Amino acid sequence: MNMDLETAGMLRDSASRYAADNYDFLQRHAVLADPAGYSGKAWRDYAELGWLALRLPEKHGGLDADPLAVGALMEVVGSRLLMEPVLASALVSTGLVRSQGSAAQQDALLPQLADGSVKLAFADAEAAGDPRCQVRAGRISGRKIAVLQGDIADRLIVSAADADHGGERRLFLVDAKSAEIERRHYRFVDGRGAANLHFAGVPAERLDPDDGTPAATAIADVLDHATVASCAEALGIVRALVATTCEYLKIRKQFGRAIGTNQALQHRAVDMFLLQEEIAALTRSAQEALLRPAAERARIISGAKAYISSAARKVANEAVQMHGGLGITEELDVSHYFRRLMVNAALFGSRDEHFARFLAATTHSSPEGIPA
Amino acid sequence: MTDQLDEARDKARRLRADIRSFHERVMPDDLKRKSHLHQVLDKDDYVRWMRLLNDQGWAIGHWPKEHGGQGWSLLERFTFEDELARLGCPWVIPFGVKYVGPVIYAFGREEQKRRFLPRIATTEDFWAQGYSEPGAGSDLAALRTEAIREGDHYVVNGQKVWTTYAQWADWLFCLVKTARGEQAQKSISFVLIDMKSPGVTVKPIPTMDGYVHVNEVWLENVRVPAENLVGAEGEGWTYAKYLLKNERTAGALLGMACHALERLKALAQEKPSASPERTAARIGELELRLLALEAASYQAVESMMRGTDHGGEASLIKLRGTELYQDIAEAAIDLLGFAGVAWDPAALHAASAPPLGPEDAGGIVKDHFYNRAATIFGGASEIQRNIVAKGVLGL
Repeated sequence: MNMDLETAGMLRDSASRYAADNYDFLQRHAVLADPAGYSGKAWRDYAELGWLALRLPEKHGGLDADPLAVGALMEVVGSRLLMEPVLASALVSTGLVRSQGSAAQQDALLPQLADGSVKLAFADAEAAGDPRCQVRAGRISGRKIAVLQGDIADRLIVSAADADHGGERRLFLVDAKSAEIERRHYRFVDGRGAANLHFAGVPAERLDPDDGTPAATAIADVLDHATVASCAEALGIVRALVATTCEYLKIRKQFGRAIGTNQALQHRAVDMFLLQEEIAALTRSAQEALLRPAAERARIISGAKAYISSAARKVANEAVQMHGGLGITEELDVSHYFRRLMVNAALFGSRDEHFARFLAATTHSSPEGIPA
Repeated sequence: MTDQLDEARDKARRLRADIRSFHERVMPDDLKRKSHLHQVLDKDDYVRWMRLLNDQGWAIGHWPKEHGGQGWSLLERFTFEDELARLGCPWVIPFGVKYVGPVIYAFGREEQKRRFLPRIATTEDFWAQGYSEPGAGSDLAALRTEAIREGDHYVVNGQKVWTTYAQWADWLFCLVKTARGEQAQKSISFVLIDMKSPGVTVKPIPTMDGYVHVNEVWLENVRVPAENLVGAEGEGWTYAKYLLKNERTAGALLGMACHALERLKALAQEKPSASPERTAARIGELELRLLALEAASYQAVESMMRGTDHGGEASLIKLRGTELYQDIAEAAIDLLGFAGVAWDPAALHAASAPPLGPEDAGGIVKDHFYNRAATIFGGASEIQRNIVAKGVLGL
């Protein structure tokens, strides 16, 4: 199966143009300084540009974009460090509504997601040792932690045991503004908002897929998509870091010459570039893998995420090092890329978890990367 | 382009299946056994192997159809090397079919094509490559072997080194200086030297892996007919670069790493490790690097086919492939324990079992030694990084 190179290319071009005009590093500084932690105007622009409808079916005015197109957008999200909840709302949560919402629920929600009037966040993680979240008589109780952009979400999708239906794990819609939610808002190290949420009997609407897909299946599927999207975001970041570092090696002079004339630094820059190329190749393999059935793609997707987590970290460490003191400043983009990569590495499964999943899915050292 | 790529993918898939079936049904057991145990193959083994491949149309599958090849796409070519190596097949000796053959059909005269190409395809002639010299390794353009024109001959004087299988070679394709004092690259020519010529002396260079694969080749007043010059005088550097460009994708590295890793995993099963968890994690990390190499290799091939390559792909594949292959070999040696240091060269020639460990222990040790050269030959890792720094990153 082939993905649509042309659509992906067009999306990449238009997103790059938009971000260059509206979201340069200085403009982003203003967004970071805003207590909201994101730009409402940019969010409305994304809706106009169709980014928020990327994963929607065509009948809801969406693009039904393939993983390559999603990746093209995510690379730009990474290279410009966009702060808006593209991943959290437009990809992850929208994907969950699409696979777990009934026709009526989709009809009600998807248009609001597409036009940006509703932002969703997915509340899934729980602290070790906490009692599991559960829904009884239509009300949810329990705690969720580290909800990416749960601070700015209008509504939440919450995973919980459905005590009303035999304790099965299901997804529920909750009004984020509900008075019965005790909340702690904070930011991740990259400036994106997050929330810990304590639900004390909050009214919850169960998502009821018409085809009966179990929530666990839908969540696993969406997490695979999110993992691959975050690989593409890492690629965008790494490309930016490699480019800016090479540029710096050419202009920074010490001892009377550009530091990039030193072979030791040249070779380290090459190693960063090699990692970038591997990240690009693995991202592409993972995007292709998404088109295959769930059981056949775990190896490549988790392998990609595991490799990319450490590869991107190496690139970021080297970028900081080669920029000298400037590398750790607020003023320079390098430290911001560094921090976004830290957060991305923690989202959708740690390196260790993905490495373990990769190994569990590996019987022979071949040949899924080979074009089938 | 998508259509062309789809077609190439289809053909490559069929080729892969054909190779598996060839390996199962056609390859003689003795050859299979020797190569699976990583024993030393002699000249007869290699000639037989190359002819088996030629019988399938594969030895020169990458040549254009007009010269008797199959006009393989880059993807088929890569797949061919990859799959053979995955199956643990012998090395496809490149000097004739991959190196000098394409230079002759691209730049040689008609008479040279008629004379040499058929005998290259059938390995009637065994070729060696006369590039490196004692003073010209990574800096190949510094070579000093001189060819002075005297009437209808060149008189060649100099010394080549690291010449693989020169002891078996009928012919040597050789870079020589045909002009003095000019810019290095413009003074080099590409000539074909009959190894039986008076004045050619081959001296083996013993290496730590215990058998002879590299040699010194001394050239003392060797008379080479002027008709054995390929193309134009002073253009040898261009041809050598053309040859390298044909060799951008060493598919065998991926396949060899894959094969070696499978063996490593089997070894880990056979032999209890002092720390199974550490061994499993070490193998797992190698497995992950293989996944990255596989993705990078196939995507490099496809970028080249689309024309969207940046020029650093060959270096990327070589660096990562050789590093990975070496690390897999090292892990195998560690697992083998004493069997990884016991050494009986006779066992490499199928004469006896190795003193310790599994039947292929000697072969694994031998490969480990040989593989240390993988990051040195064909452009050392340092040179590969220089190439990317300059050519791709503009540093």
